Amino acid sequence: MPDPAEQQLREDAFARYVLPELEVLAGVAFSLTGNGADAEDLVQETLICAYRAIERFDGAHPRAWLFTIMRNAEAKRHRRRRPQLLRDPDQAQRLERADPRRAVDSPEEVVVGAEFDAVVTQCLGALPERHRQVIGLVDIDGLSYAEAAEILGVPVGTVMSRLHRARTRIRQRLSAAGVAPRRSMR
Amino acid sequence: MNPLSLAASRLHCLHNMRLLQTYLDGALDEMPARRVAEHLEECRRCGLEAEIYREIKASIHERDCTVDPGAVERLRRFGEALARDGEPAPGGAGA
Repeated sequence: MPDPAEQQLREDAFARYVLPELEVLAGVAFSLTGNGADAEDLVQETLICAYRAIERFDGAHPRAWLFTIMRNAEAKRHRRRRPQLLRDPDQAQRLERADPRRAVDSPEEVVVGAEFDAVVTQCLGALPERHRQVIGLVDIDGLSYAEAAEILGVPVGTVMSRLHRARTRIRQRLSAAGVAPRRSMR
Repeated sequence: MNPLSLAASRLHCLHNMRLLQTYLDGALDEMPARRVAEHLEECRRCGLEAEIYREIKASIHERDCTVDPGAVERLRRFGEALARDGEPAPGGAGA
């Protein structure tokens, strides 16, 4: 039976350091897994690992601490996961995000914007996973390069080069599709 | 423009384009960021390139900017129960 005072300290620390980061963790987990159901599982595993380790946590940089835990949990999940080629669309929608866009655009802007977005979407889906992850972490979740590097377990320079390659590929695809000009040579 | 000036101008553009992604991510230090911003103002070609990359970033960001509150709420309940009651029994981890 745990000591009630210790249990209270643990509960307080968890509420103070972990629970405020839940929304960020959910977004990051979605970027890592690309799948709503897996993202929820990953956050749950991260919470359980954080709960087990909370007594040893010194209170400094809780987000970075949680990212490290999530990175390890994701690596563990990868090792035991069976090959998963098809996603369940119902499950994938469980962490789906709202799209508040373009309520006031003109019809022309909507058409051009829709073409642009369609090419970006298509290209994102075709990116290698390591590129898609870094785009999700930085462009969707708003993580800094250092935070993305922490959760992916790679140097900051690798985050930057993956971002650069991913965006360049999208940019080239937009040109090929005729929705963005090719870079001219003077 | 004479060939020498053209070459220098292209080098200047190349240098700024190498910094463009970091600049657009807000990760450049103040002085280099200011120099890139000035170049993008002056050079139409690089300015257009920057605009396209801004659109790409916006297109990616806007599609997915809010996590489903239902999922976050389920995870919050899970976290609060974990803090209060300890770890769930094996097989009972589902929210």
